[in-house]
Amino acid sequence: MAGPSTLDFLRRMIADMGATQRNKVAALTVAEVAELRNIFALLLLGAFVGLPSPPTFLAVELLPLMEKELQILNRRAQDSCDMLAEMCGMLGID
Amino acid sequence: MTTLIIIIGCGLYLLLYFTYGRKIEKEVVKASDEIQAPSKRLFDGVDYVSARKEVLFGHHFASIAGAAPIIGPAVAMCWGWVPGLLWVWFGNAFIGAVHDYLSLMASVRYDGKSIQFVAADLMGKRTGRAFYWIVFFLLILVVAAFGSIVGGIYTKTPGVASAYVFKIGAALILGVLLYRTKLSFALSTVIGIIMLIIALFLGPIFPIAASYGAWMWVFFFYIVIASSIPVNVLLQPRDYLNSWLLYAGLVLGFVAAIFVFRGFEVPAFSSFSPIMMGGKPTPFWPAIPLVIACGSLSGFHALVASGTSSKQLDKETHGLFIGYGAMFTEGFLATMVIVSIAGFGLSALRNAGVDAATLNSENWGAMFTIASTKVNLSKANLFIQAYADMIGSSWLKFIPTLYVKILAGMWVSSFAMTTLDTTNRLARYCIAEMALPLKDSSEGLYKFLSNRWVASIIPAAIGLWLAASGNWLIIWGSFGAANQLIASIALMTGASYLAKRLKSTYVNIAVIPAWILWVTVTAALIWFIIVVQPGAIAAKPGPGWTVMVITVVMFLLNFVFIYDFVRTKSYKIS
Amino acid sequence: MNILFFTGKGGVGKSTLAAATAWQLSQKSRVLIVSLDPAHNLGDIFGVSLKKKTSFSKRLALEEIDLKKRTKAYLKREIGVLNETYKYLQVLNLDNYFSVLQYSPGIEEYALLSGIEEVIESDNEYDYVIFDTPPTGLTLRFLALPRVTITWIERLIQIRRTILEKCHTIHRICGPMSDQETLLNFEEEDDRVLQRLIALGRKYRNLDAVLQGNACRIVTVFNPDQLSLREAERLILALKDLNLPLRLLVDNKITDANLPTAERVENQLRKITDASLTRVRLSDGLSGGRSSKLYEIQEDMTSWFPTGAS
Repeated sequence: MAGPSTLDFLRRMIADMGATQRNKVAALTVAEVAELRNIFALLLLGAFVGLPSPPTFLAVELLPLMEKELQILNRRAQDSCDMLAEMCGMLGID
Repeated sequence: MTTLIIIIGCGLYLLLYFTYGRKIEKEVVKASDEIQAPSKRLFDGVDYVSARKEVLFGHHFASIAGAAPIIGPAVAMCWGWVPGLLWVWFGNAFIGAVHDYLSLMASVRYDGKSIQFVAADLMGKRTGRAFYWIVFFLLILVVAAFGSIVGGIYTKTPGVASAYVFKIGAALILGVLLYRTKLSFALSTVIGIIMLIIALFLGPIFPIAASYGAWMWVFFFYIVIASSIPVNVLLQPRDYLNSWLLYAGLVLGFVAAIFVFRGFEVPAFSSFSPIMMGGKPTPFWPAIPLVIACGSLSGFHALVASGTSSKQLDKETHGLFIGYGAMFTEGFLATMVIVSIAGFGLSALRNAGVDAATLNSENWGAMFTIASTKVNLSKANLFIQAYADMIGSSWLKFIPTLYVKILAGMWVSSFAMTTLDTTNRLARYCIAEMALPLKDSSEGLYKFLSNRWVASIIPAAIGLWLAASGNWLIIWGSFGAANQLIASIALMTGASYLAKRLKSTYVNIAVIPAWILWVTVTAALIWFIIVVQPGAIAAKPGPGWTVMVITVVMFLLNFVFIYDFVRTKSYKIS
Repeated sequence: MNILFFTGKGGVGKSTLAAATAWQLSQKSRVLIVSLDPAHNLGDIFGVSLKKKTSFSKRLALEEIDLKKRTKAYLKREIGVLNETYKYLQVLNLDNYFSVLQYSPGIEEYALLSGIEEVIESDNEYDYVIFDTPPTGLTLRFLALPRVTITWIERLIQIRRTILEKCHTIHRICGPMSDQETLLNFEEEDDRVLQRLIALGRKYRNLDAVLQGNACRIVTVFNPDQLSLREAERLILALKDLNLPLRLLVDNKITDANLPTAERVENQLRKITDASLTRVRLSDGLSGGRSSKLYEIQEDMTSWFPTGAS
């Protein structure tokens, strides 16, 4: 008779497998979203670094709403030279 | 015997995990929950997100598992089943898993930066930049190796080819279901699995018979197209279906292996230098790391561990389970492969027409590679047949052998095929980075190389050209060399981290394997260049010289690394 | 409400003609004349100081828009909001960063456009709003602004929608098991950035419609000389590009002496536009001393524009 802990264990295991599979299916999409947000932020703020970009007032209008995007922008600016391993991890070769 | 080896292997891994592994964790790396992992400290909801350790394990294992742990052991059979097994067990525990674990933990302590960054920090920028080059070579060689493998599978069993085509269709449909409709995830999964099963059945009914050369062309166009379309269209759903193939293959394999109670028919030990690469006697040392990479020791794992897994580690103490544990699991998979071939491989060859006079325990070393290649029952095909026979001999024999074969063929070829277009995506990045110095000096060339299509076609074309015309074992050997070269740097980096940052007294658990590995890889490269290559070049100059050039460049880079390693005194506590 | 833009090279008599037209129209309609030219001379023409909107007569109001002041006020407001929102984010050194804004390209045009917008919003007070524009360059830039802005906004909305779509997919797939922060809004109504973009897009499309519409007339003033001709040509072609309605050309400062040149110039211009053309003689009033009303001219400008409430 399977005790509650065994049942629990099984349930946990199935939930974990489910979680792994869901993550797997969405992993690259999550990465895409991050990159798109980065691009969006870059486009808007480009004027300040000389890139062709929308009229600056658009940037000023939207900036207060773009907290997440700026976080990603900052992170990407730091990490953009170290992407090889990350991409290997996302697109497993082996 | 099969059962015995599986149980011993399992026990051995568990034992070493809890003794050696724990020792490294506690005394050397000193992993502690007091130190916040980067996923918490640098949480950004994008890359730095902590994942539950079981989920992360699944993700990490799926990233490192592929077709290589199946092919390597099949090739290594020429030494008999013992040498390969010893490497898979002990090479894994003392070198491979240590390498994976240290790469992971060094990255964790470096705020989730990649092993490339850590190497550049500890051993110099030169070493960091060399990564792009070696990875690039690795990518070309793996396309060549895997393209050839899949070509071999498809020509031997055309049913697998069409099953794969149907699977692509299933993946495309699944992609639409998952990403474009409101269908629930669970339901889409079920539909996907059903479509997969249908593909398995349809395969043998509509086999696609084509020549090996024709398949190379098909793969070329497949790579260029598949690597240019959005990931949601084909890549993600296809990889998702692959994971279910993996689970099915693993479960069936282990259940059969444990309960089949079969003795081994392959000799335990044939000779130290059987005929293998390029038709030459191949000494077990130093060639074994080149033959069996994943499953025992693979540099690529360092990139995966330090690329995504380190950023998602919830607590430092989970690192052992992820880094060390996943490698052991892969070793277990390799064990299963060895067991199935050792138990059923010879019968498979006999059934294919290799009689006792041609191949027996006496001349195993000299004849195994040649005989098995002749009947197109070597490497992946040998595994597929042996695996099917193994399932067929166990209480799972109610599953028709034909479909087990298709399943196994799909399992190996799916993972190999997925490598083909993901490597292409990565190669574009590597080319752009490698061409960077050209930007100022020769802008035209730089622009040409960084053009999307050019950067896409170059690795695909070279890789498949090598696959079409080259000696496969030579390609596999050089692929192994590239992989282990990365492992070499990664292990040196791990040792450097222990010595210079942690100032650990146990620094030798990494330094000694690092030296052993470096010497092995160097010796293997020398042997490869001097003994094996001339024959290959004589046989087919084009591919021969290409591989030669790649190998020589890697050989030279090898000395750069050891120079940097010694120069920065990374081998002792400063 | 009808809108008139008086454009032309500096010194051709744009402001004077605008003022004259305003005065004449104000005999029958309610008129507001607004100077957008940083080098204001509207006040000088009417002989009043225009620190704020002033009623010159029962039906005529005068206004000078201080661009610098508007720009400063706009930036101050926005910087305030930004400082408030980001005071806990150590992304940028805010003070220094945002003070750069005042030099960024486009703020001046935007301030100008927002000034015009405000005036146009005050819809029913006037039958005619006349704008005396700044030098050609700035004028063309702010006239193009709605169009440019709309294009950018549409692109940005597209990207934003793609992001939301993917977020939605992720949520559908991973939602049930995410115990971590759902970092993603995926409904369009919830994404404030998208909502703001859509609202801005709407606003600029309206503005664009007004500028291109029947109620908007652009008048280009030029003099009978080569230099003036060149500039006028440029202006006309640019307006064509922007699809903005040039309705009237005014050849100003005609004398008997320059009549032949005037004819040549006018013929040149007739080749590139169908707009009506009229002549205005060099005003003697200019030399008439302080008491002369600079806004009074002999020619009847009102015949070109519908009078009475529209």
